[in-house]
Amino acid sequence: MQSGVHKLMETVSVIAASGLQSRMQALDLVANNLANSTTGGFKLDQEFYSLFTAADDDSADGTTTSLPLNEKQWTDFSQGILTPTGSPLDLALSGRGFFAVKGPSGSLYTRNGSFRLSTTGLLTTSEGYEVLDASGQPIQTQSPEPIEVSANGTITQSDKELGQLQIADFQDRSVLQKVGNSYFSVSDAKATPTPTTDATVQQGKVENSNVAPAESAVRLVGLMRQFEMLQKAIAITADMNKQSLSEVARVSGS
Amino acid sequence: MIRALYSAATGMTAQQTNVDNIANNLANSNTAGFKARRQQFQDLLYQTMVQPGAAAGAQTTVPTGLQLGLGTRATSNEIVFTQGNFTQTDNPLDLVIQGNGFFQVTLPNGELAYTRAGQFQLNKDGGMVDANGNLLTPQITIPPNGQNVTIATDGTVSYTVPGQTAAQTAGQIQLATFINPAGLNSLGQNLYQPTNASGDAVAGNPGGQEGLGTLLQGYTEQSNVSVVDEFVNLIVSQRAYEANSKVVKAADEMYQSMNNLTR
Repeated sequence: MQSGVHKLMETVSVIAASGLQSRMQALDLVANNLANSTTGGFKLDQEFYSLFTAADDDSADGTTTSLPLNEKQWTDFSQGILTPTGSPLDLALSGRGFFAVKGPSGSLYTRNGSFRLSTTGLLTTSEGYEVLDASGQPIQTQSPEPIEVSANGTITQSDKELGQLQIADFQDRSVLQKVGNSYFSVSDAKATPTPTTDATVQQGKVENSNVAPAESAVRLVGLMRQFEMLQKAIAITADMNKQSLSEVARVSGS
Repeated sequence: MIRALYSAATGMTAQQTNVDNIANNLANSNTAGFKARRQQFQDLLYQTMVQPGAAAGAQTTVPTGLQLGLGTRATSNEIVFTQGNFTQTDNPLDLVIQGNGFFQVTLPNGELAYTRAGQFQLNKDGGMVDANGNLLTPQITIPPNGQNVTIATDGTVSYTVPGQTAAQTAGQIQLATFINPAGLNSLGQNLYQPTNASGDAVAGNPGGQEGLGTLLQGYTEQSNVSVVDEFVNLIVSQRAYEANSKVVKAADEMYQSMNNLTR
């Protein structure tokens, strides 16, 4: 019986410590979201808690060792606010979908449509990655004249059609992995992008980050209080352990 | 924990840069020919804590991993070349470009620079110069007895001489354009120079097919800074800075209570 009680106390500490660790990771996510609250095309991350249950847990007294942990984060792909900029090379997507660009190692997908022209007249991102058209080819402009982009992504310049932007979407968006600079790469080679007509292209606008600072601040307060609570749990367990050692196990006369 | 502190710090640094940029735009809201710059940000690399596809148990795999971002950085502040408003001045040598072109001027060191500020004057030799005294290129010279200077929409400069009925032609102003004007290098004094990113200047006569635009005499182009937009950006930036500083405080408090675990 005594060993059972002792085990329970240790378990509380371990579970609380696991909770502390996952709250720390959640704070990292909130910090990154808030740091990117003005990053164009940024999509916020949220943590996903789950329980870890030891497979070989065979304690006779029925106390199972299951730990809370941060199993994964999920990205909130909701629409960010579109801000007009006036630049004809700023494109924003309204609705589901991503611009496809040619990254250094394979295709990358982004909602940040703040594009520019390379010295050779190719439509590129600010890193110089070529923006791809519906057939996977770069888009070549003919002259310094401004381009016009229609809602379905067709680019024209001086009444001459240059191509249609590739707007890609994924059945399961969890295959998209953030690689920094507002780009997503596909983590599963089997997942293929499908062309979508859900999104309309809006010229002269950029999509803001979808991080709401007020909501993040509320989550921040929540995290801090949960962290404090778990810390209390550890402190109380430590006190109980101390008491059981100093009082229950006191040898009479000493 | 330390990650959260540094992520928040990158956010604060980025917002500082943003405010610097807003301050410069606002300070130049009355500078003729000034073009606003727009600050852009990007998220940094991600640290992978749980690899997507890792084994979660004997039978299952983690469908998506746990990736923690490391903050943001200010990447570029590109020049926004939208047209500014026009103000009538009645000065015959004040010009605005209705289009994408730039005036070409020669710097004292002989290099060409490009500007949208078309407030020209004459120097002591009668040459057309910008407000800093840089000669307009190709050079246009008005003789001392030249009067009634007229500049046509295609850049042809003509004047009359007392006692003669026919107007004399002094030359034609040429404009230049760039394939990527957002990549120009700002020299200050409203001057720009080409870089590898902007591409080389393509010069031509105003009103042509290249999209250079036409000239309008007797007007100046105002700064394209929208004071209202800049104030909105300033508020957003200030709040974002505040939110990031709250994260620093929260991380600090959590760190403190963690340290209190061992008493």
